[in-house]
Amino acid sequence: MKTADIVIIGGGINGVSIAYNLAVRGCRRVVLLERKTLASGSTGRCGAGVRMQWGTEMNCRLARDSILRFERLNQELEYDGDIEFKQGGYLILAFHQRQWEQFQKNVALQNSLGIPSRLVSPAEARRIVPHLEVGDLIGGTFCPKDGHINPFKATQAYAEAAARLGVEIRKFTETVAIGKDAAGRVQRVTLADGEVIETPVVVNAAGPYSQLVGEMAGVALPVHSERHQILVTEPVAPKQGPMVMSFAHGLYCQQTPHGSFIMGIGDPHEPRGFDTGHSWQFLEDVASKVTTMMPALKEVRVVRQWSGLYNMTPDAQPILGEIPEVPGYFVAVGFSGHGFMLAPMTGVLLAEMILGLAPTMDVSMLNVGRFARGELIREPSVV
Amino acid sequence: MRIVEHPILDFKRGRLVRFTFEGRELEGFEGEPIAAALHAAGVRVLRRSAKLHRPRGFFCAIGNCSSCLMVVDGVPNVRVCVEKLRPGIRVERQEGHGELK
Repeated sequence: MKTADIVIIGGGINGVSIAYNLAVRGCRRVVLLERKTLASGSTGRCGAGVRMQWGTEMNCRLARDSILRFERLNQELEYDGDIEFKQGGYLILAFHQRQWEQFQKNVALQNSLGIPSRLVSPAEARRIVPHLEVGDLIGGTFCPKDGHINPFKATQAYAEAAARLGVEIRKFTETVAIGKDAAGRVQRVTLADGEVIETPVVVNAAGPYSQLVGEMAGVALPVHSERHQILVTEPVAPKQGPMVMSFAHGLYCQQTPHGSFIMGIGDPHEPRGFDTGHSWQFLEDVASKVTTMMPALKEVRVVRQWSGLYNMTPDAQPILGEIPEVPGYFVAVGFSGHGFMLAPMTGVLLAEMILGLAPTMDVSMLNVGRFARGELIREPSVV
Repeated sequence: MRIVEHPILDFKRGRLVRFTFEGRELEGFEGEPIAAALHAAGVRVLRRSAKLHRPRGFFCAIGNCSSCLMVVDGVPNVRVCVEKLRPGIRVERQEGHGELK
């Protein structure tokens, strides 16, 4: 029978980042199982914006250190391609007073952690994004270190580096069951073709399908999936440096290095589930709001729309760590729409937890027990 | 050249109008695709590609292929194979990705 030290379920950015970080710390008998192709789930569908501008100290640290790693990821992973990190910044807009007050607190917190964000006036916001129609804007925040990355290439970079270090990456391989021993410890995984891999450790990095992979081990994770729609336009010459984001509208809009604009908007009435279809209502909604804010974009044509799933938790913060009831069962799930940007640190932290190493950063507050204890994390800066 | 007789379609020709291409004055029939008027006037290079700056000409003729994206009255990325000719319009070759105003 095949045996492994660690089996990772999920070939998105987090799965491959965890695999690489385990391998680089000397753990070589790692198998990564992916049902389809790498980045075929939420990673390849995401807006792929990365930002340091968060509202809790933990998220600021996680995002800051992840971006610092993204900055030198091509070198660290000896990638012969390019993850296409465009550090054009994020301009986050405030449209009402409460938000503005929150932004002032956020920037003070961010600056105390070495994040180079700053408050900007409507006039300064327009200097940063000249085609922005400021209207009833109160102000905003800007951080030049934020930006956009090609999610396919970042995933590929981690996967290739992990494979070079001996990680076995198995695509088109669906996991159907996770077996436990008499003491309730993880013992094996069963694949769709009946093959069994014996392993003392399973990592659930299944993104939007993490709930299902939880059930395989008898673990009811407090997560659900929710569709978010997105579109891409034809490419035009570079016009917009930063991501423009409004929490009030649940809206983001970014120009990629290729020249296309990527934009999306949240729908508060979106039902839970695994639907990855898309709608004309979304097109109308996002187009009318984006072109009100940035009328120049009226002249740019949409070429494609799609959707992906956010894996949501009750406090929109991830769940990281071992499940106490099932020793050997680790989760990196529930990223609630910001899993891509945190992936470098998620990989480091999960590898440290699994291997019993001293943690680079304390993220014990992200364990699954916080929901039962009522210790939810209040992050004010989510879309 | 222009297709004058067609086994299925009946071309109703609009009036003869003037427009400019790269500052040069040309004539075409109102309502025909801009690309048809350019083709009839012997214009074969409609734009240049973004990466290698290679010439791109009239290709799919049904608004699909991006080969004929041009700048019309300052608006980039206009598919001239499906855009109707109007009197007095300003048509220019596009170099790579168009620039939004």
